[in-house]
Amino acid sequence: MFAGPLQDLIDELSKLPGIGPKSAQRVAFHLLKAPADDAAALARAIVEVKDKVRLCRTCFNVSDQELCEYCRDPRRDATVICAVQEPPDIVAIERTREYRGLYHVLQGAISPIEGVGPDDLRISELLSRLRPTAEDRPPVEEVIVATSPNVEGDATALYLARLLQPLGVKITRLASGLPVGGDLEYADEVTLGRALVGRRSLSA
Amino acid sequence: MRVATLALEDFRNFVRQQTGLGAGINLIVGRNAQGKTNLLEAVHCLSGLGSPRGPDHMLVRSGAERAVLHADVVRGPRHVRVDLEIRPGRGNRALLNGNPVPSPRALAEVCSSVFFGPDELSLVKGSPEGRRRFLDDLVVGLRPARETLRREWERILRQRNALLRSMPRERGAAATATATLEVWDEALCRVGAELTAARLEVLAELAPYAAKRYEAVAGGGRLELAYASTWAPAGEGNVAALQSALQSALQEARERELERRVSLVGPQRDDVVVMLVSAGDPAGEARDARAYASQGDQRTCALALKLGEHDLLSDATGEQPVLLLDDVFSELDPARRRWLGGAVAAVDQTVLTSAEPDALDIGGVARVIEVRAGELRDAQ
Ligand SMILES: [Zn+2]
Repeated sequence: MFAGPLQDLIDELSKLPGIGPKSAQRVAFHLLKAPADDAAALARAIVEVKDKVRLCRTCFNVSDQELCEYCRDPRRDATVICAVQEPPDIVAIERTREYRGLYHVLQGAISPIEGVGPDDLRISELLSRLRPTAEDRPPVEEVIVATSPNVEGDATALYLARLLQPLGVKITRLASGLPVGGDLEYADEVTLGRALVGRRSLSA
Repeated sequence: MRVATLALEDFRNFVRQQTGLGAGINLIVGRNAQGKTNLLEAVHCLSGLGSPRGPDHMLVRSGAERAVLHADVVRGPRHVRVDLEIRPGRGNRALLNGNPVPSPRALAEVCSSVFFGPDELSLVKGSPEGRRRFLDDLVVGLRPARETLRREWERILRQRNALLRSMPRERGAAATATATLEVWDEALCRVGAELTAARLEVLAELAPYAAKRYEAVAGGGRLELAYASTWAPAGEGNVAALQSALQSALQEARERELERRVSLVGPQRDDVVVMLVSAGDPAGEARDARAYASQGDQRTCALALKLGEHDLLSDATGEQPVLLLDDVFSELDPARRRWLGGAVAAVDQTVLTSAEPDALDIGGVARVIEVRAGELRDAQ
């Protein structure tokens, strides 16, 4: 145990994900030795992120305004919504530059072990985006379910598919395939099996 | 195949140790609680498929953040360097000849072993869980990529059980919960059917090998293996058929599951039944060894199953796995001891522990290694 403020900092840091007591101590001592300006900048950034960043009213992406940059952008294709688990997933999809539609951040995946059920996710908000409204928006024609390719992501995708089916919207799931640059021989059978199921035609 | 050298860092009670291992029989001696079994466990971990004795975090010496194993493996004409870093909670890492592999289970293609300890000796009379684990380990041993299937299955089962535990008691009050349960049902049926098909496939492959070993030691009689399941139709190995069978079984069990708040049907409740036809009555019917065989016969069955596993893996991969025997000889009567000794003599490499090496009665020991308080030294 260290004296007051130092121990407080270590305690706070070790609450962060992926940071154990040892790393927390290392970071704390690093900050202690850092120039006062650097430490102040970090403290300011933490305060500002809580102060200014909020969730987009429509899609629940992070934003510094009421609507996020994608929901504000009139050039985005509003007939397609890509549902993801967390905001960083949007960043990953944007990096591909393959997608021009809108997003919906579910804020997690169904996981009974962690006590997360459909009601804890932004699913009802997604549903209301699919209902025809008086606004002059074109109706949504397709929902791409881009949850993680694991047990929880699959369950969430299946739940959404069943829920959205009656609405007459096209529902697609990201193909889970083989990692590019990986060796086929090391691919596990589940991945390989799913890649086979989701195969696409090469002939015209 | 064989392991030529093994170095351990922060593995169980070993801080930093290394040893050479010979072809043939390697005898690990030392008093109890010195680390003899830990050394066998380290060899087993070189397959990248985890320990037969417990979760990864138990493998790391207390106070250390990770355990590391290095080994030189001789496989036919090839010499392969294997490095494995065990980092609980952060994912293990492995190198083959210094090159990173995408998953530690890739090591299983190079280095495999069959572990046989006191738990395995009671395979027949022990719990169904032990027999399921034996079968699932063999599924993964034969096809390492199926480790993913097994992990996915375990995760789905845990999720579904967690959901059942949290389901509201009052009926009709929870449309969302019911819809969520249906989603997990579908996952359970899909992956459960795949797992069951894989088990049945492997059991059919194992049966002739185990029967042959049994006949050799029992001097007659016949060992048969059957898959016991409350939901899978007998003889059905088709994944789609198993999936729909599991679906109907779940439907039927719905009320009971909601009542008991736990998954009641599926591969997690299945079992392997070892059946024996006695040597004296070859035309007689096969009887459940668990209920009808003597303790000695049950042990013979367990030996036949484990040596059959070794034979199957040898044939399937073209290389003999290392045979790891943890204090098994002392539990056997002289006749079975001699028989096991004979079987061991034909294996490329065996590593066995004994607290009483003088009572072992096996010839041709290549190397004796003494373990004392987590330190290894040659004792010959
Ligand atoms: Zn938005």
